[in-house]
Amino acid sequence: MATIEVTNLTKDYGTVRAVDSLSFAVESGEIFGFLGPNGAGKTTTIRALLGLLEPTAGTATVLGADVHDEDALIDAKRNIGYLPANLGFTEDATGEEVLDYHESVKGGSRRDELLEIFTPPVDRPIREYSTGNKRMLGIIQAFMHDPELVIMDEPTSGLDPLKQEEFNEFVRSERDRGKTLFFSSHVLSEVRRVCDRVGILRDGALVGLEDIDTLLRQGGKRVQLQTTDEAETDLAAIEGVVDVQTFAERFQFIYTGEYNTLLRELATHDVREIEISEPPLEDIFMHYYGGDGTAESNQEVQSDA
Amino acid sequence: MLETTRYEMGRRVRGTAVLTVGVSLYVAFIVWYFSLLDPSAFEQVAQSLPPAMLDAFGMESIGSISGWLGGQIYTFLWLLGLGIYFAYTSAGLIASDIESDRMDLLLSFPMSRSQLLIEKVAALCLPLITVNVIVGGVTYATVASIGETIDPVSLVMTHLLSIPYLLVCAAIGLVLSVMVDRAAVAQRAAIGLIFVLWLVESAVGAAEDFAWIQNLSPTHYYSPTPVLIDGSYELIDAGILIVAFLGLLIVSQVLFYRRDI
Repeated sequence: MATIEVTNLTKDYGTVRAVDSLSFAVESGEIFGFLGPNGAGKTTTIRALLGLLEPTAGTATVLGADVHDEDALIDAKRNIGYLPANLGFTEDATGEEVLDYHESVKGGSRRDELLEIFTPPVDRPIREYSTGNKRMLGIIQAFMHDPELVIMDEPTSGLDPLKQEEFNEFVRSERDRGKTLFFSSHVLSEVRRVCDRVGILRDGALVGLEDIDTLLRQGGKRVQLQTTDEAETDLAAIEGVVDVQTFAERFQFIYTGEYNTLLRELATHDVREIEISEPPLEDIFMHYYGGDGTAESNQEVQSDA
Repeated sequence: MLETTRYEMGRRVRGTAVLTVGVSLYVAFIVWYFSLLDPSAFEQVAQSLPPAMLDAFGMESIGSISGWLGGQIYTFLWLLGLGIYFAYTSAGLIASDIESDRMDLLLSFPMSRSQLLIEKVAALCLPLITVNVIVGGVTYATVASIGETIDPVSLVMTHLLSIPYLLVCAAIGLVLSVMVDRAAVAQRAAIGLIFVLWLVESAVGAAEDFAWIQNLSPTHYYSPTPVLIDGSYELIDAGILIVAFLGLLIVSQVLFYRRDI
């Protein structure tokens, strides 16, 4: 049985449909990326998985427990860690006190080990914490009871790049220990680096479910450069160049082809300025999921929900 | 079990200390002030006031120390002040955790919502018991120190019977806390509601046609001044308050169980 199984999950808030007939499964022992722009319904889905919200329709099981069944879900939660996007710790408590409380409720066999990797100042009150320190405290409480499944909502926001890399390394090692990790994020590059598989959410509906290699192949790179008009014409003709746009000084396209082909072509022209980067998430939706991001989804999606 | 209660009590230590010290100082001041007064002059003033007002301010036998404390401390500070304090505090219990997103973490614990709610309410026992025990002791000691006497059994009963009343106030705040999304709104509503209920009991008592309304007010079931003066009380009143507390607790549990976070 899948670790998380979501079946036609729908959540309406009055006129707004936050999640629309969502179905996917997260297998045991994988890092599942849950990718989508802000407001796509990621947090709503997570809240439904944890029983914080009552779904309007459909259901989900987490570690075999139905989210409608409070008793079963409470049992399952002994083996779930949760790292929410907004960490509302008691401001006047110290990190130590918060961890003591969490340990008393759910256990903390790995607390000391985690405090060696992530280093919030646990003897200080949380109101003095930076965002990064709060995030590290959140990571510790999510993993300290050595759960089977950890659900993470924007887990690296606020962490400095060094800690982000350490965190990603840690997440991979957890996967290698057989844990399942649900990694919700709006940052494509991060999801690409860490996750094994990724579900892409837009306007509450799943618009893609890919393994990471496919996404890497499809995602391409955004190339922005300043060059001659003649070079622009040549470049636009290469296979794998899409979404060509010309600005006053700049020429931009998304490249999904083989890198050497592009580099050889570039070498024959006068390139005055170049930047090769991850395409924005919106561009991926535009190019691989149709004009408004809904073409491959058979479900109705509200335009600006 | 009770991990949450222990944690929340730890968070309430400072507030409880401030509350207890503040109330104790006020009691000491009121008792000291009594020693400066000429009691007979007060009796005369009291006789010239309309009965409704005497009733509202609990000014029976204001010339004795028991009557004086009943009017100055218990009718105001206990019924209204502490009633509002507990309603206000419990109005923040759930609403502020939801508002600050702390509830997300709490509900990821392997613990039912109803257990979480009960444990949080149980943590209010710390201020509830501390303020009653300490202030009761301070009252007895300061009264003795000015050479007056007060019946210790009546004093203990006055405090003991205030506990069901204050629990009802807390439960009123709790219902608001699970209904409303914003802590500030729940807290303001709790203050307003306790004040109105206190006023209803005082104001409507005299108007016979509307006298039934006062049955709705928890203050109707706890009258500290008579307990203090001659030790008279009705246990059924305390029973009604306890039933009301449990009823409101169940209502808030049902509302909390069903709501989305």
